[in-house]
Amino acid sequence: MTVATASQSTPTLTPRAGPRTAAPQSGFAPWNDPKKPPIVRFEGITKRFDDFVAVKNITLDIYEREFFALLGPSGCGKSTLLRMLGGFEKPTEGKIIVAGQDITDMPPYDRPVNMMFQSYALFPHMTVEGNIGFGLRQEGMPKDKIAERVDEAMGMLELRQFAKRKPNQLSGGQQQRVALARAIAKKPRIVLLDEPLGALDKKLRQQAQFELMRIQETTGTTFIIVTHDQEEAMTVASRIAVMDKGDLVQVATPGDIYENPKTRYISGFIGDVNLFEGKVSAVADGCVEIESTEGSKLKTRSAEPVSVGQQVWLALRPEKIRISHDQPSSTVNAIPGKVEDIGYLGSISHYHVRTAGGQRITALRANAAHAVERSISWEDSVWLDWPVDAGVVLTR
Amino acid sequence: MKTRFSWFNLTSITFGFAFLYIPILLLVIYSFNESKLVTVWGGFSTKWYGSLLQNQALMDAAWVTIRVAVVSATIATALGTLAAITLVRMGRFPGRTLFSGMIFAPLVMPDVIIGLSLLLMFVAIGFDRGFWTITLAHITFTMCYAAVVVQARLQDFDKSVEEAAMDLGATPVNTFFQITLPIIAPSVISAWLLAFTLSLDDLVLASFATGPGATTLPMKIYSQVRLGVTPEINAISTILIGIVTVGVLTAAYITKRQTDKAERERRRAFGATG
Repeated sequence: MTVATASQSTPTLTPRAGPRTAAPQSGFAPWNDPKKPPIVRFEGITKRFDDFVAVKNITLDIYEREFFALLGPSGCGKSTLLRMLGGFEKPTEGKIIVAGQDITDMPPYDRPVNMMFQSYALFPHMTVEGNIGFGLRQEGMPKDKIAERVDEAMGMLELRQFAKRKPNQLSGGQQQRVALARAIAKKPRIVLLDEPLGALDKKLRQQAQFELMRIQETTGTTFIIVTHDQEEAMTVASRIAVMDKGDLVQVATPGDIYENPKTRYISGFIGDVNLFEGKVSAVADGCVEIESTEGSKLKTRSAEPVSVGQQVWLALRPEKIRISHDQPSSTVNAIPGKVEDIGYLGSISHYHVRTAGGQRITALRANAAHAVERSISWEDSVWLDWPVDAGVVLTR
Repeated sequence: MKTRFSWFNLTSITFGFAFLYIPILLLVIYSFNESKLVTVWGGFSTKWYGSLLQNQALMDAAWVTIRVAVVSATIATALGTLAAITLVRMGRFPGRTLFSGMIFAPLVMPDVIIGLSLLLMFVAIGFDRGFWTITLAHITFTMCYAAVVVQARLQDFDKSVEEAAMDLGATPVNTFFQITLPIIAPSVISAWLLAFTLSLDDLVLASFATGPGATTLPMKIYSQVRLGVTPEINAISTILIGIVTVGVLTAAYITKRQTDKAERERRRAFGATG
């Protein structure tokens, strides 16, 4: 028996399909323009700590005005990659290029990037104003100019009323805003955010995510965020790089990552997924037929080139599966089963269905119609079906 | 909440404190003795404090002592702070264990041995013994105390605060003076006070390292006592006790306030995560 559902996210996760509203501007996709130079380029970056390899030969381009997310579980190397860009770690191999300039050996204080730390790292002996103005004072900017810039940053983050307070007189949310204000005060070209919202509670975190997006859009700065929270990455980012054990697994827009995950790891890491293990039994005009181990023939469109006999997995999102009492008219991708569990979540319900072959499949149904359809209940015999373009064929 | 003392506790505390402080108390009381005879009470008077100011030899010794204490405490604190930073910040480097062991060895090394080895060295290199040799000796043995005090503070210091400063454009030197030093200042001050008081009442090292013309107060007192205790000695000792007490209490107070503050901040941080 295979485990059908790899669930790591909350059930309310509903990714948006189609063009993303969170992108800085509609049609914003510099990564598709081969002529556009990247603002940050990691070139074959490897980082070893003694014999532990934290980052393995990563090559990655990030473009101006992007809100780029490095996503992965703790220990996957995402923070190390960010810290190398900040200048706090030296890559063992490879080059880091920012705006055409090789900064691999440049000390942190000369780099055109500013970082917001997970612990906020506010200076405890300085006021909010003093903290925000610290970077500007290092530049030797005239006092009145500093005051102006500090005031601008405080205004942007609604911190003016706290100007004279010390960090320990602020709440967690206020400290987080001071840390962000300090990171943007110098108007750097790139702002690095290391788990910036990790210490906030869920509600505050959602507010802060939208605040981050607003600041990123108004300042037009490139933001690179490190997070282990896939919902956070989906919400804020224009592109996401998923990392695992020091490797870059996939770099794509949130929609792409959700709809076309490249590996089983990613399909399970972002959102819920049903996985059918099987062998390719036929390939014809863009469609693949898979004979699954649980005993059904599944037909799906595939962009991935596969050959007959190859071991593959079909990844299928729960909301793409239709569940009903009646046998569907088409015989393609229709599987009978028995309802084992129902999770009622108000707006939607989760149905866990055991197929004849013994596989457990999760299907979602929106509770839109009010008692019109015959409701599905425990132990009901049901049919599951989905169109040929609903699933993704994975080879890894 | 009030803690009630049991009879056993009360008795042991009384005896303990009596054992520790009655000799000192006697000395303080007799420093206000009218009589010239040290062991006979002749009424209250502060005249010995007055006559102290007339005793040129004693005043000279006091002046030497204070100069030695200030100079050696300052240099020892600076060196101790640097050593502590190296130990805490540098992470692992070859010889780290040896380095930390060598810094802390004087804490347990008998004073007589340090004194003797310093004396041998000064003689060997032909260093004229006097004010500077005493100062050097005191730097050697107070530096490790300063390093311990500062190291304790640095260990719970968030390293990302320094990284943030550098990230915002501060060079390592600017980061040290604008961020690290102000944050660890209380422990640097208490390290200085500790080094100062240690230097003030040291007799053994000073005796080994001294030369003509440089007599510290403890040495002076010791040599005078051999000729007989005078009320003046009681008076100057009382002053010395006062200075040492104030120094130690201030250092303890600063450290306490600092740990309380760190504790409060930690609790706040946890409160914020909710």
